[in-house]
Amino acid sequence: MADEIKKSDDVSRRQFFAKLGLGSLGIAAAGTAAFAYQYLEPNVLFEPSPVVNAGKPDRYPLGSVTIDVNSGIYIIHSDEGYFSLSAVCTHLGCMTTWKPELNIIACPCHGSKFEQSGKKIEGPAPKPLPWKRIWLNDDGDLLVDRSTDVPPLARDSFVRV
Amino acid sequence: MADSKDFTVGVDSNAKKSPRRIVFITRRTSAQVKAETEDQIQTFPEVLFRSAVAIMTLAVVLVWIALLFNAPLEGLADPSHTPNPAKAPWYFLGLQEMLHYFPPVVAGVLVPGLVVMALIVIPYFKVNIEADGLFLKDRAKRLAIFYVLAIGLSLFLLLFKVYAALVPTLIMAGVMLVAAQSSPQSPSAFRRYLAGRPLSYWVMTWFLFELVVLTAIGTFFRGPGWEFVWPWQG
Amino acid sequence: MAKTIDQHFDNLRGSRVWRSIFRSGTGSSTLKRALAVQQNVFLHLFSTKVRTRMLSFSATWYLGTLTLGTFLILVATGIPLMFYYHPSAPQAYADTKDLQFVVSSGLFLRNLHRWSAHVMVFLVFAHMFKVFYRGAYRAPREFNWVIGVILLLVTLLLSYTGYLLPWDQLAYWAITVGSNIASAVPVMGGKIHFLLLGGNAVNANALLRFYVLHCMILPLAAMFFVAIHFWRIRKDGGLYSHGSEPATVRANAFGGGEVKVPTLSPQNPQGQGWGTHGDAKEGQ
Repeated sequence: MADEIKKSDDVSRRQFFAKLGLGSLGIAAAGTAAFAYQYLEPNVLFEPSPVVNAGKPDRYPLGSVTIDVNSGIYIIHSDEGYFSLSAVCTHLGCMTTWKPELNIIACPCHGSKFEQSGKKIEGPAPKPLPWKRIWLNDDGDLLVDRSTDVPPLARDSFVRV
Repeated sequence: MADSKDFTVGVDSNAKKSPRRIVFITRRTSAQVKAETEDQIQTFPEVLFRSAVAIMTLAVVLVWIALLFNAPLEGLADPSHTPNPAKAPWYFLGLQEMLHYFPPVVAGVLVPGLVVMALIVIPYFKVNIEADGLFLKDRAKRLAIFYVLAIGLSLFLLLFKVYAALVPTLIMAGVMLVAAQSSPQSPSAFRRYLAGRPLSYWVMTWFLFELVVLTAIGTFFRGPGWEFVWPWQG
Repeated sequence: MAKTIDQHFDNLRGSRVWRSIFRSGTGSSTLKRALAVQQNVFLHLFSTKVRTRMLSFSATWYLGTLTLGTFLILVATGIPLMFYYHPSAPQAYADTKDLQFVVSSGLFLRNLHRWSAHVMVFLVFAHMFKVFYRGAYRAPREFNWVIGVILLLVTLLLSYTGYLLPWDQLAYWAITVGSNIASAVPVMGGKIHFLLLGGNAVNANALLRFYVLHCMILPLAAMFFVAIHFWRIRKDGGLYSHGSEPATVRANAFGGGEVKVPTLSPQNPQGQGWGTHGDAKEGQ
């Protein structure tokens, strides 16, 4: 019988070519999958820039909380300086509103309430409202980058004029 | 007697014209029906693997072409500016060439419509099913009809100066005349082959010839204003 | 190492989950190979056995298979292209440029789609001529030939509707010329032209209509008729091959020639190769 002559790890010619063929198909499939994924991830987005120009700082008097609903941010002028909060509720993405009579930021959808510092008072929201990076550009305008979070209440999270 | 579904023979779909079973009775033997079975193979893997290899080869060739040659893209569509020449996709250029000679009703509607209808009815004509050599039966009559049609068509094309269609027609007519002079006993294999070609073959070959010539002219020999240009001038 | 991979595969194939999906399993026995075709929802359009002569490359040059291959490539490239294409004028042109310059592999997909389309039109014509010159349109395959002509028209229409989508000068004027030919149809020409374009000129409505035709209606029509086309091949007795057909009953057949009468037999259980006609009558 041929079994005694063959070593236990011998591969027949048919098996070799089958493995070669299937292996090549596998590599081709993996390559195609990689290219397909790259294709589907867009390289160019037709969305507005995350950086928002909020205008000159003197538009925001001390103690004011101003919402820009188009860009979804608050510009708040407190004693420590100017800072920016995201106005998008961290629960399910509704636009919050500033209630000056209650001194809170409230979400109309499911009743989440936040302090001026973004800290959650009550409601189903899992996280506080994030602070967004804010700085002054060369023209003296306040710029907010909605794609960058900064630590709340930290020194560099404020803009001092 | 076995069920009628078991024994089926015949070419015509009409059972009355094409008998289903034939029995030969000779003097010495009783009726014998010879049954033929043919070698069969499994669809999987024989057919499917061969098809897969064919398609994979095609895919490799097309991928190479796609990597080497770019699809054309001209400027943004501008309704106020017609490029010169404005050419249809290549498979319609034969049609566009004919539009140069004939009005749109003829070249654009009549001819394509007749072509499609002619294609559809090919398998339903008895003369195509029997497929005898065209000039092997009723030779004199058929030759006369051939002369009338060939000369008539050529004159018509000459009248409208459709030289592009005239030349293939004349060439085909010439070859058909050679076929008319040939028979299954002709010395050369080519003439024997021609002698056996049926009418459908001649019509289709003439159509294929015209299609290729008109499309080639529309693609390579027509420039601005649909004027005749040499390919290297384009 | 290789052996354990094989062992893993064998374990996988023996698992309950696998066997619940692929019921018949692999194997090289005739039964297993027949089941592989018959139990598969896509493959059971084919019969489990075919006549050997149908494999002949010189008979068909595999043109029908290759045409199907180009169609599959066109679907496989066309659908991804739809992810980056808006069928609105003039956005369509910007999207085509984006596909070529900005999208990863976009240029390759567009090129492959375009060249496969041209090759498919060429192959469809070649297939038609090859079938004709072989005589494979004759009874009992007449209706399949008609289905083939329909598929030729669907292919040409697919190519024509797709031609407009890049919305460049080439596309716009080619379609303008073509649709003006349609308006030459007597009596109904103007109406046809208006319906085809969704207006009086090639504009945004026309682009959207051609897009819907190109991406939905015509591909569905093509798949529908391709399925019928394949089914008819099988039901008409398999691919035509001259040596396998019953001899035509003509004068010279009575001169002592044999007329092959096919029969069902253990070797030929499906009566492969013989046309069945519903109006077969006894004693004709």
